[in-house]
Amino acid sequence: MKVLHDVSIEMTEGETVILLGTNGNGKSTLIKTIMGIVPPNQGEIIFESEGVQINLVGKKPQEIVNMGITMVPEGRRLFPQLTVEENLYLGAFRREARQNLERNLSYCFEVFPRLGERRTQLAGSMSGGEQQMLALARAIMSSPKILLIDEPSVGLAPILVSQLMTSIKEMKENLNLTVLMTEQNFSQATKIADRGYIIVHGKIEFRGSNVELSGNELVKQYYLGT
Amino acid sequence: MVSIDLLLNAVVAGILIGGFYAAVSLGISVVFGLLDIANIAHPLFVITGSYFTFYLNSNFGLDPILVGLILMPLFFVIGNIVYQSYYHFFEKQGAEPLRGLVFFFGVLFLIEVSIIITFGVDYQLVEAAYLGESLNLGIVNVSYRLFIPFLVGVLLTTGLHFFFAKTFYGRAIMGVSQDSLALSLMGADPVRIKSVAFGIGIATASMAGALLVMILPIEPALGREYIGRVFAVAVLGGLGSVKGALFAAIILGIAESLTATYFGAAWSSGVSFGFLLLVLAVRPAGLFGR
Repeated sequence: MKVLHDVSIEMTEGETVILLGTNGNGKSTLIKTIMGIVPPNQGEIIFESEGVQINLVGKKPQEIVNMGITMVPEGRRLFPQLTVEENLYLGAFRREARQNLERNLSYCFEVFPRLGERRTQLAGSMSGGEQQMLALARAIMSSPKILLIDEPSVGLAPILVSQLMTSIKEMKENLNLTVLMTEQNFSQATKIADRGYIIVHGKIEFRGSNVELSGNELVKQYYLGT
Repeated sequence: MVSIDLLLNAVVAGILIGGFYAAVSLGISVVFGLLDIANIAHPLFVITGSYFTFYLNSNFGLDPILVGLILMPLFFVIGNIVYQSYYHFFEKQGAEPLRGLVFFFGVLFLIEVSIIITFGVDYQLVEAAYLGESLNLGIVNVSYRLFIPFLVGVLLTTGLHFFFAKTFYGRAIMGVSQDSLALSLMGADPVRIKSVAFGIGIATASMAGALLVMILPIEPALGREYIGRVFAVAVLGGLGSVKGALFAAIILGIAESLTATYFGAAWSSGVSFGFLLLVLAVRPAGLFGR
């Protein structure tokens, strides 16, 4: 069964791009395809770094991570029986990240002081909001250039979603990241995005800047209930 | 009438034998506790280590501990091969764990038969000058035959404990069965991580085998006696906790030694498993389980 077709998106360095769409439209599938978790039947995923173009199709997730592309998966996917600290150390598994371990660790604790207080707690015993913080921090530990964030707001209270978006923006700016984030929460996601795409039934139906997104009919239909 | 020196000697012997049980159980602690693979053939790898040690000791006069040490890389490679076969024929196909168990039953019989064909069914033992001696500490008598395996078992456990706690590979091994996709998103290859972990588990068997043949005469079917015991130690200690396995092994060693001293050796394993059930009833995660 084809889930995605005619999907073409691009990002340039330093952008925050959001991929909007309600459940079941293929947002997560697109992110998983980029990461090599779901193999595509056709098409190309081109990553350009220092003038060299690499096709990511056919590469395994670990190979893609080692190029500096890290994903914060939907549902967080923490190691529940490991402590906060062990989860963070595992984030720094790739060779390039090991050299920056101390610096990244103190940065994570600066952005999320709560994680610093809970270093020795098991990840599985923390609240949803704390787990999402840990998932983000663990991704930062891998020293990424590009961060793909899949539905970070799922299951979180509105106040936490707002704080999380602020943290993502802060990390993006401090670490010069390029961010692609999928979201259902339109108003929160557009607060930090430069521009975005709307995906409907596996097709990109609209692309535009934040301002253009806000005035769009599809957005009104899907998110604003009018 | 309880005599103090009988009691003390039984406790000391129990502690010493416990250090040895830890060495035998480490592989199960890693492979069953951290990878969720029920490698029931593990004790047979231990016995294989014993026979290699016996062969190199009786033919070339090599020290058993030295043999255990130099065989570790070879056993690591064997472990890698066993895991890769298990992965390709079972795990990759999403086979149920029960079918994997059948695979390891097969490995168990294969090893046992190979040993019988190669070495026969007679009891064998190793020689080393220090094995007959003992350390006299007043009322307690510590024989080197038990003390050296204890020491090596404790060292092996401590080394592995720090490997898991302090290295990137060690932590990846702890995480791999919890979420292998998430581990690949950390940039690690889950199959490679499991392969290394399995290799380490089997590598401990060569040393445990060397210790075993120092303590007792060996015969090919001896491995079966250890199947229950090694799983008991791993479960009692808390699955995946190497430190827990050491403490559990010592507790089990003391319990068995006291039982053997006061009620007869036949009761030993009954007491061990009774103790295991008791602990699991109170603390299902085991002594050091998370």
